[in-house]
Amino acid sequence: MPNPMHRSHVFPALLAIGLVLVSAGAAAEAEVAPPPVSKECGEPGIADRPLPYSAAALQQRKRIKILAIGASSTAVLGMGRNGSPLLERILERTIKGLDVEIINRGFSGELAEATGDRIRIEVALNQPDIVLWQVGTNDAFAQVAVDEFEASVTDTVRWLKEHNVDVILVGLAYAKSLAKDAHYQAIRMSLRRVALAENVLRIGRYEAMEVLTRTMAQGGGRPELEDFGLTEAGYNCMAQYIARTITVGIFAKPPKKVPTPEPGK
Amino acid sequence: MSAGAEVRMPREANAVDFWRGFALVSIFVNHVPGIYYERFTHRNLSFSDSAELFVFLAGWSLGLLVYGNGMRKGGAAPLTFRLGGRSLQIYMAHIVISGLALGLLAGAAYLTDTPPILEWHNAAAFFQDPAPTQIGIVLLTHQLGYFDILPLYVVLMLIAPAFVIIDRFAPPLLLPLSLGLYFSALVVPFTAPTWPVEGQWFFNPFTWQAIFVMGYVLSHDQGLGHFVRRNIARIRLIALPIVVLAAIVVWFELFPDPTTFPEPKLLFLHGKSFLTPVRLLQFLALAAVFSAVYPTIARYLPWVTEPLSMLGRNSLNVFCVASLLSLSGQIIRFLYSGSLAVDTIVVIVGIGLLCLTAWLSEWRQRLGSHA
Repeated sequence: MPNPMHRSHVFPALLAIGLVLVSAGAAAEAEVAPPPVSKECGEPGIADRPLPYSAAALQQRKRIKILAIGASSTAVLGMGRNGSPLLERILERTIKGLDVEIINRGFSGELAEATGDRIRIEVALNQPDIVLWQVGTNDAFAQVAVDEFEASVTDTVRWLKEHNVDVILVGLAYAKSLAKDAHYQAIRMSLRRVALAENVLRIGRYEAMEVLTRTMAQGGGRPELEDFGLTEAGYNCMAQYIARTITVGIFAKPPKKVPTPEPGK
Repeated sequence: MSAGAEVRMPREANAVDFWRGFALVSIFVNHVPGIYYERFTHRNLSFSDSAELFVFLAGWSLGLLVYGNGMRKGGAAPLTFRLGGRSLQIYMAHIVISGLALGLLAGAAYLTDTPPILEWHNAAAFFQDPAPTQIGIVLLTHQLGYFDILPLYVVLMLIAPAFVIIDRFAPPLLLPLSLGLYFSALVVPFTAPTWPVEGQWFFNPFTWQAIFVMGYVLSHDQGLGHFVRRNIARIRLIALPIVVLAAIVVWFELFPDPTTFPEPKLLFLHGKSFLTPVRLLQFLALAAVFSAVYPTIARYLPWVTEPLSMLGRNSLNVFCVASLLSLSGQIIRFLYSGSLAVDTIVVIVGIGLLCLTAWLSEWRQRLGSHA
């Protein structure tokens, strides 16, 4: 008599092999160089990690869907001139024939736990390949306990992985005055721990903004913008980092360890 | 004082004003995310929250106004003029509080040297690309986070004359038409877009109109309203298990995986933006059950019903102040850490200021009647 448990393990294994092959295929056909990041943006310093489900979507459909959700969509997508966000334009320019659909569901002020619930609904409705989740700043401002925050983000990241969705976490915003804010820094470190433990991409927005602010100050930029640190140039740098990360992730070499879906998925 | 001028006294405490006041206080608390006291608002045991209650009672109040003043039988022009005027009043209130909210955020960012505050509440687009974003604010296509219910209210009041005219000439058609639009928006699905930041309204006006129309239809003792009043005891028997079941599901987080639902998924999901059927049904059940408790509260706890009714009588002014106080509460919690003491002060001072706003509004009305 066939063992149903055994069968339930065969399917994920086949799926994992398929994903490896698809990633490998994508990598093989990859003549795609990652989009450059402007000199003034500095080095993003983001660890490259594969995005296997997006690679599969590219291979099969020449189309990827990105769900942008969380604190500030402007900050992660870049300024949306000419009808579409900068991130979408860079990706479509970089990967020939790729159709990028960005579903923007940013809702500023929302905490990670509430966004986690909305992410589940949006994934059910839109079946994105990547969830680009800017998370942490609101929770830090709202003084959410670090363990609660970590549990909420971990829970949602695991759920996304179980549902074959790639995750990119975009971290907290930078301000000089926040460097000594113990709670803010604790939430920042907590997000870093989650990304490491769950092996998902985290874009260190804090670090990137810190570099950018320093670069602008050295370059003799407008003082009031340096004081505020958040500029159109800064947002566009974030979009460039993310576009580069996604491109590298899609065309990365096959992962040593492919995310294995849960039994029955 | 002009001779013969009557002193306009506020109406007595009643269930509608009381529940409106209750919704306003809940909205104030819920809009300070992370505050200790948000765990005591009814959304922790309910699919629906105070937003549904607020919009339902807005429809109910429209019904009382239209039927109470004989507007329903008047001409279409005066009706449109009056309700359009109310819509304009809400619109102006929204524009004013959006401007003040942006000022609060900018002030907090500047004084504390914390630029990320400028990104709170969807404000980043305004500060980085003000020209199109200002157009978006004026057109209601760019809404600040937690400042998104008044745009819905503006739209509902703008289309209210159409509801009233349909109700006048073909009353049985009003609810089916409203539900038709509701289910179409869920099945297709469609909503109102945002601009310049691409996205969608947090409160889908095509679905939220249904709860507004239901409030309107149920407010008067004719048709469905008459049926509900005659059968309210039986309805409560059906409603009570729904309320209890929802409380268990929410408390123990027993929501099914939303990806497992069949298409069209919005018919089965639990989502606020689209006011999905599960939320709407649970809200109606909640309203049926809790409509029974007002007389008891009024009898034994008049010190609760009186101030809450005062808040409800002045709902627009109180809502505007509550929105700004919620934002101020968030900034205060960030600056002084969200300890229980800070949270308690925020809630007590906030509710006190809401009561003061309502009292001043009525005081001004009384002064007006003497002028």
